[in-house]
Amino acid sequence: MKKYLYIFKSELMSNLQYIKNILFNFVGYIIHIFIFLSIWKWVYSDPKEIINGYTLNQMIWYVIITELIWSVISGRKLCKKISNDVKGGNIAYNINKPYSYIGYALSNSLGDSFIKGIVYSILALILGFLFLGSFPNLNIISILLILLIFTISVIINILMIIMIGLFSFIIEDSSPIYWLYSKVLLIVGVVFPIEFFPKAIQPILNYSPIYVLSYGPAKMFVKFNLFESLKILGIQAIYLFIVYFICSLIYKKGVKRLNVNGG
Amino acid sequence: MLTEAKNQFKVTFLSIKYAFIRELLNKVTFVTNIVFMMLNNASFLVQWLLLFSLKDNVGNYSFNQVLILWAMASSSYGISHFFFKKAYYLPDDINNGKLDAYLVQPKNVLIASITSDIEVSALGDMLYGLIVFLIVEHNILSILLYIFFSIASSFIITSIAIILGSLSFWIGKSDQIADTINNLMISFATYPDGIFKGVVKVILYTIIPVGIANYIPVSVLTKFNFGLTSVVILFTIFITLLAFIIFYKGLKRYSSSNLMASRI
Repeated sequence: MKKYLYIFKSELMSNLQYIKNILFNFVGYIIHIFIFLSIWKWVYSDPKEIINGYTLNQMIWYVIITELIWSVISGRKLCKKISNDVKGGNIAYNINKPYSYIGYALSNSLGDSFIKGIVYSILALILGFLFLGSFPNLNIISILLILLIFTISVIINILMIIMIGLFSFIIEDSSPIYWLYSKVLLIVGVVFPIEFFPKAIQPILNYSPIYVLSYGPAKMFVKFNLFESLKILGIQAIYLFIVYFICSLIYKKGVKRLNVNGG
Repeated sequence: MLTEAKNQFKVTFLSIKYAFIRELLNKVTFVTNIVFMMLNNASFLVQWLLLFSLKDNVGNYSFNQVLILWAMASSSYGISHFFFKKAYYLPDDINNGKLDAYLVQPKNVLIASITSDIEVSALGDMLYGLIVFLIVEHNILSILLYIFFSIASSFIITSIAIILGSLSFWIGKSDQIADTINNLMISFATYPDGIFKGVVKVILYTIIPVGIANYIPVSVLTKFNFGLTSVVILFTIFITLLAFIIFYKGLKRYSSSNLMASRI
């Protein structure tokens, strides 16, 4: 565990050097939130209107949180890196190292997301307050539980991206799968809460990764419920285990068929 | 002059052709890139279907108009990234001295550098845009007008990318500013302008000209207007010339670097 903490710390320290870049990238986040704010303001002709159980303010906070979870991860970069490691043969250097490649990629990416997560969260809360003028009602216990759910959702998301990156063992370049994954997550998980989808597919979405990655954490921020937050944590634990297991399986099978020419 | 233009066109065509052949070497990756990009774009239909289930129109756009907006945005983005991919990598070329290779060629430096590689997935964008447009419109004149606007719009967004990339001649690392504004243009281009008001709307028709590149073409494709078509044509010529002027002004400041690389 100590070695992974060291990897996490070195990536974190390296990212601290680029704090300006993090702040600059936040512009993109603001623009996305602004677009969603404009869309939802159009849809909600009356700010007091309730659509599928959500007021305009709750909808905007929902999007702020889901977009936040998505933005703190440099998903494209991570997927590309793993894909290149596999394609270029760099992954061979990790085989004889005293750590697991998945653990290395996860702690490295967490180091990258940690600073971004803190800076973005503070700025996103300020942005939400400036746009909406109020915060949802939360107490200290709910804040702590939401932070835990938020952190686990980021870990699961990173593992999902590592899993997609490792698909390069099978199809050489897994970036197209990542595009599709990010778009599906953006549309189904970021813009709309599950209640906005047709009733027939809601049960499926409630057990899909969308529930643990974006809907769950954002809904708890907007409408906190102790029982539901514990349920989300339970499902997150299951997902964490399953995704890690699949990653290990692909890695083990992939490394066996690895063929590196030269170096 | 005409022979020079003909030669330039021939060289550009060959450069794109060889880049295409290079990409074809791995057929599975080639096909998955195109197919997944189309699926990626198509996934946004879910978002619009849900929004239109809540409201009859979004930003005064009907569902068909949103489809035309998407067709315009994806085809212009596709043309720009397929033919002029390297326009988006200009800061890297400038900062790392990669323009040297084009400076020694007796051809236009800007055109040679921006057409030196292609983005295969952008073919998926182009195809998706065309298919979506053909679903909405079957009139041959509308299809021709759509192709014309897609090319004009791709010239506009490529020119913006060149201008932003050329900033590297003066301020060193302009890649982050360029990436942010290029992405911002795509984000705005896929949402109806009716949802934006005030200053933002003014910005969209001036500083970030998504309005001229996308919103006006959608309006003309819905109801033809000669005046608005002229605005798009004149602006395309203006911004393309401006991109050339800025790039060549910056090129005078180019000082190469000590990078040693081989081009295969």
